[in-house]
Amino acid sequence: MLKKIKNITNRQYFWGYLFVSPWVIGFLALGLYPIIMSLYYSLCQYDVLRVPKFIGLDNYRELLFGDEYFWKSIWNTFFYLFFRTPLVIVGSLLLAVLVNNSIRGIKYFRTLYFMPSIISGVILSVLWMWLLNPEYGLINAALNFFGIQGPLWLIDPGWSKPAIILMSIWSIGGGRMLVFLAALQGVPKQLYEAVEIDGGGWWQKFKNVTVPHVSPIIFLWTIIEIVFGLQVFVEAYVMTKGGPLNSTLFYNLYLYNKAFDDFEMGYSSAMAWILFVIAVAVTYLQFRISKKWVHYSSD
Amino acid sequence: MDKIKSSITIVLILLALVIVFLPHGEKANDGKTHINYWYVAGKNDNVPYAVNKFNESQDSVFVDATPIPWNEHEKKILTAILSENPPDVVMLVSTVPKWAARRALVSLDNAIKKDDFDSTQFYPALWKEMEYDNEIFALPAYTASYAFFYNKTLFKKAGLDPENPPRTWQEVKEFSKKLTVMEDGDIKQMGFIPNYGNLETSFVMSLELDAHYKSQDGTQVTLTDPMIVKAFNEEVNLLNDLPIGKINKFMGGFGYGSQHGFIAGKVAMMILGNNFIDQIKTYNPGLDYGVTEIPVFEGTATKSSTGIWWYAIPRGAKKKNAAWDFMKFAVSKKIQIEESFVNEESLFPTNINAATDSAFLSRHFAMKVFDEQMRNTESKVIFPLVHDVFWREFSQARERVLYKMQTPLEALIQAQQTIQNSLDRAIEYDDYVKKELPFEKF
Repeated sequence: MLKKIKNITNRQYFWGYLFVSPWVIGFLALGLYPIIMSLYYSLCQYDVLRVPKFIGLDNYRELLFGDEYFWKSIWNTFFYLFFRTPLVIVGSLLLAVLVNNSIRGIKYFRTLYFMPSIISGVILSVLWMWLLNPEYGLINAALNFFGIQGPLWLIDPGWSKPAIILMSIWSIGGGRMLVFLAALQGVPKQLYEAVEIDGGGWWQKFKNVTVPHVSPIIFLWTIIEIVFGLQVFVEAYVMTKGGPLNSTLFYNLYLYNKAFDDFEMGYSSAMAWILFVIAVAVTYLQFRISKKWVHYSSD
Repeated sequence: MDKIKSSITIVLILLALVIVFLPHGEKANDGKTHINYWYVAGKNDNVPYAVNKFNESQDSVFVDATPIPWNEHEKKILTAILSENPPDVVMLVSTVPKWAARRALVSLDNAIKKDDFDSTQFYPALWKEMEYDNEIFALPAYTASYAFFYNKTLFKKAGLDPENPPRTWQEVKEFSKKLTVMEDGDIKQMGFIPNYGNLETSFVMSLELDAHYKSQDGTQVTLTDPMIVKAFNEEVNLLNDLPIGKINKFMGGFGYGSQHGFIAGKVAMMILGNNFIDQIKTYNPGLDYGVTEIPVFEGTATKSSTGIWWYAIPRGAKKKNAAWDFMKFAVSKKIQIEESFVNEESLFPTNINAATDSAFLSRHFAMKVFDEQMRNTESKVIFPLVHDVFWREFSQARERVLYKMQTPLEALIQAQQTIQNSLDRAIEYDDYVKKELPFEKF
């Protein structure tokens, strides 16, 4: 009897493993193996076409102490993160509050505000290149209408980063808005009523009820957006190639240039691992800080 | 029953996997040797003229041409070589030494010797660019030839003689001032923009001044050579004190085709490639323009550079002999002339006999000028091992100078340090690899 049960279990295991095997094999061969190899190559001089030469920590030393572009790209990326992350999160939250109203046809508005986020980054970048064109662009034409002389945006080293940050307004709808919307719908109505009874207006409602309730979601998106923001690439790759004067040389763009223009795979592997460490450190820091401002309703 | 069911399921799954992963494709049954040729596709995927003609010309080899998109083409070829299943011939545009130095190409020396292949049919500068470490790795397919274009209508408007284009850089500066039109503080038309064109003005100038970019043995970067500094100074000089911000704003409206600054008649003088003759014909056929040799300094000779497309056999290719036959055919005089007539936008022949043939010269009045310039070219490949680093640093130093952030000397010192640093690392690695991985021979 016992033997039979064991047999059945084995068989179930067999089928179970068989069905997950495509993923497991895929992960081991295409995920884990390259990750481990990149750690090894980060300790080598290696151009893919030739044999790797082990050089210890030289790549890391060169990056941290000898490569000014590395630091420039870190600065650019953090500048982008610092302004873009709050912009998209606050923007998405406000948009979610807006489409949380119960007016007629609100479903259509929700769809409408979601739509921009499904456009691919490359197309978006090409589109924005025209919007931001200082001579013929719509943005400067609009500014001109109000008598403001628009900046040169992408071709001015001082305005190129703000221009790319401005682009993210486009994507404040989308997934973030939907998750916020779901959270907003879970806020108990009686809390808002309580504020009203106490004579509070919309600002008190927003500050004392809405924000604390969605704070776990804000926290979640802060982590996700920072990790994704660290990898900003497409906009600069398509629109500016890192220029002018390296003002949009983001970390991943520099990594890409090193890997695929210069074929310095060892060096760029080292860059990838440094980025990984930065992402982990920033996320850890956020978890530490989060205790001070994130409220879970079960607390 | 259960057993039968599961056995059948397993067999079906295995069968499906075999079908999915089995290499498929039409097996050629025509008795010919089939070779794979990868080329970078332009606007359309038409089979290249040379391939069709070659396939018609004989019955032992057949070329299967595969277009690959411009974006990522280097990466595609790179991965094909790494997978040890590369095409038999490729056509590429980035520099030969960049690939040869990395052992990605097959040395053609033995084939050249065996066939007594005539290398003097090519422009000497182009042939030299096929070389790395005293061996030849590719055949030059086409090139861009650059010359000085100027807009005759704008010349007349500015009171300049349209039959007398500028001969020296000093004249370019003076003409440019007369040809620049301002309106409400903004530029509406410009004479010459040093950082807009197909060749870096300061680089051309430095070649004319006979500058030295490296030490004799090629291990030291000498960007601070007084002649390079002078070239940078002369380039800024051409701005006629107009702020770069204003120029950038003006250039913000430029693009491809009819939006190109010269084709749209907004920039009066430019160094452009010979393919602009076809572009002007397509996008602004009424444009009245002249083509003359690239300006010089008093007492120096005109200089130009190249932009070569080349055929090569990647490391690990299986059918080298057939590939070599096709390459030789494609660079022959006859094919190069014929091809220049069928293409919508042609590059320049690498074969001197083709470029100086009366049939080819009759294509356009400027072909003579392009031929002359090709005889005075110097390669853009200065440091084969760190070619991309060199050019990135060079253009960034230029940018810093044009933005007036640094003096030419300061910018060049900074660039020199970065390139030297990369070069030292690359040489060290190359010495190590040389022992481990020799060139693949024909």
